[in-house]
Amino acid sequence: MAGALNPSYFVVLSAALFTIGIYGALSKKNAIAVLISIELMLGAVNINLVAFNKYFTPEAFSGQIFAIFVITVAAVEVGLGLALIIALCRRRNTTALDDLDWLKW
Amino acid sequence: MKQLQGCADMENSLELIAFFLLAGSLLTGALMVVTLKNLVNSVLSLIVVFFSLAGIFILLNADFLAAVQVLVYAGGVCIMLVFGVMLVQRKDMRESNPVNRRFLIAAPLTGALFLLIGLVAAKSPWVKEAGEVPENTIEHLAPILLRDYVIPFEAVAILLTVALTGVLLLVKEVKDNGRSS
Amino acid sequence: MNIDFSLLITEISLAILGLTVFTLGLILPAKSSQKGLGTFSLCGLLVILALTIASWGNQGETLGGMYLADYFTSFFKILSLTALILVILGSKNYVNSQIENHLEYYSTLIFATLGMIIMFSAGDFITLYLGLELMTISFIVLTSFRRTNGKSLEAGMKYLLLAGLSSAVLLYGLSLVYGAAGTVFIKEIAGNIAQGYFNPLLIVGLAMLIAGFGFKISAAPFHMWAPDVYEGAPTPVTAFLAVGSKAASFAVLIRVFLGAFLEMQEQWTMLIAFLAALSMLIGNLTAFAQTNIKRMLAFSSIAQAGYILVGLVAANEAGIKGVMFYSFIYVFATIGAFTVVSEVYNKTGSDDIADYAGLSQRAPLAAVVLLISMLSMAGIPPLAGFTGKYYLFITVVQDYLWLVYLGLILSMVSVYYYLRVVLVMFRDEPADPAPLKLGSTASLTLWLTLAATLFLGIYPWPLAKLANTVAIAFLAGL
Repeated sequence: MAGALNPSYFVVLSAALFTIGIYGALSKKNAIAVLISIELMLGAVNINLVAFNKYFTPEAFSGQIFAIFVITVAAVEVGLGLALIIALCRRRNTTALDDLDWLKW
Repeated sequence: MKQLQGCADMENSLELIAFFLLAGSLLTGALMVVTLKNLVNSVLSLIVVFFSLAGIFILLNADFLAAVQVLVYAGGVCIMLVFGVMLVQRKDMRESNPVNRRFLIAAPLTGALFLLIGLVAAKSPWVKEAGEVPENTIEHLAPILLRDYVIPFEAVAILLTVALTGVLLLVKEVKDNGRSS
Repeated sequence: MNIDFSLLITEISLAILGLTVFTLGLILPAKSSQKGLGTFSLCGLLVILALTIASWGNQGETLGGMYLADYFTSFFKILSLTALILVILGSKNYVNSQIENHLEYYSTLIFATLGMIIMFSAGDFITLYLGLELMTISFIVLTSFRRTNGKSLEAGMKYLLLAGLSSAVLLYGLSLVYGAAGTVFIKEIAGNIAQGYFNPLLIVGLAMLIAGFGFKISAAPFHMWAPDVYEGAPTPVTAFLAVGSKAASFAVLIRVFLGAFLEMQEQWTMLIAFLAALSMLIGNLTAFAQTNIKRMLAFSSIAQAGYILVGLVAANEAGIKGVMFYSFIYVFATIGAFTVVSEVYNKTGSDDIADYAGLSQRAPLAAVVLLISMLSMAGIPPLAGFTGKYYLFITVVQDYLWLVYLGLILSMVSVYYYLRVVLVMFRDEPADPAPLKLGSTASLTLWLTLAATLFLGIYPWPLAKLANTVAIAFLAGL
């Protein structure tokens, strides 16, 4: 069983994806780019959930169900985010977060 | 017996190869998403990320989830994002995804976070539960989703209603303002 | 698996009310009849509140421990319903003049409350997460509700991005805890940890949970969103966000950290104590510089989050009682203050503290309520805030004395910036001496919050006793 996959592989992979997502969310100027980075982070969460589902609760399916809900909510967030971006763009003509300075950060 | 062992080893190494291939394309895609200068290219590499994710799900015996991933993300979310980019970004697309000065803090911070989680994960002991994920997950998922998890399911239904009305409200034309197209 | 519907009575009736408001709004044709939706939701909510109080004794869990109904959830259900009723009652004028889409506004408010209730009634992470998201997404929509106003949209955008980021961190924490403890059920996690089921990933997950929840309760250093969102959102929404979202998140914090991680207490109390101290410091010290009253109240609410966290540091029944008591009195003080702010904005179109000059002559009731609410937040006896702070800080006198001193000093400091507003209201001459006429429902809300703040300060024992019983029952039921 030397080479068998174990949860550690998947957790390390998801950690890498998650931190790439955080990096993008913190360093991007464009609102759409930040939204995309958040999607990467949620993808990392799903890797974890499904991997743990396989190794720890194979019959209860908690992880897979959780992942389905996460995907749904993530799609909702993107939709709402794009609507806000379009509304803001109409009013303020920008998508750069640094231009959102009517309220002090 | 020996042959059986060899067969299991073979399967294991195939799984490993598949894992590393998928992980490679996943991480390359993700890095491209956050480093590319052109926002449209970023969104396109996001599609690569989502397909690799679906592959990882199949590797983990989650075939239904892989299908959902492809349908919702690669099919829906990415198209929505491309439309969003096109609607919003009218000027030059080449410099549409700039990085701000915070990346100087963000890069070492996230690197340290990765090392932390990675090291802890690599060292942690895992107690594997006996039992396998049943084949054909959708047959098992449906009753659990609609019976045991009925409250979250209803909550999601209401969540979608709220989001839908919110989105309609936000992008509805504003009549008293001449500037809106 | 059978569902015990009698335990879900509040949730089901709230969902029905929200959908009814929605449908009624679509059926009613005239713009003028839309204004009746507020009254309709108010009546419905009063009935639901009565139902919830009546089913106080009806306890249990359904769906195999996935959904809980105990004294603890009943207490917070009553709290969030009361807050929503006061907000709707107090904001009628504001909504009629500033918001055009009543149907979406009221139904989204009701669904946000439903999200809160699902969130703190959850027995597992999946239900918890969806309640949380239902609440958050509803608040994002509500924050950007004045879509013709650039500030409102900007606040919504910032809230969406930062809430998405924090939800992702929280989820990652939840997924690590799920992997490390092998289950998503809060009770089973506690059982597994007690059996020595230990994995270092649990600590990493725990830290991420604290970061994610810290964002929701706007504790420093995860508070950056609060001032912007509080300023940009429509004022009644700000009030409900400050009260409801915060109280519900504290309820979940108690449920998760005491319910699942009581065994690992020494690993997280220090971290929470640090968050509490930092929130008190940043909140109180930054509030000085603010010229906008909503921003000032936002920083003050960050400081309040710090005070409430002290009860969590204690991690015992007295601490839970303190958190519950303080959350309840905080409802009245905050909604009183924000009702005044929304009424003044409605008449003068400004949130600047300078424009509150001479409010005591123009609208004495509003000035008095703002005064009492702020003094209560600062913790001046004999007001309710003093009793609340006493219950919170008394719990950590033995172990974290430095936190008590810090809280006392910063409470004294906070009196200064609250008094600055009071001085402007009572001493300065108004620029426009015409009396500022308050709406009748707003006046009613102001009287109610004033009475509650005074009453609970002078005679706190009934509520304190109730909170104590609930806290004991909560810890016994673990």
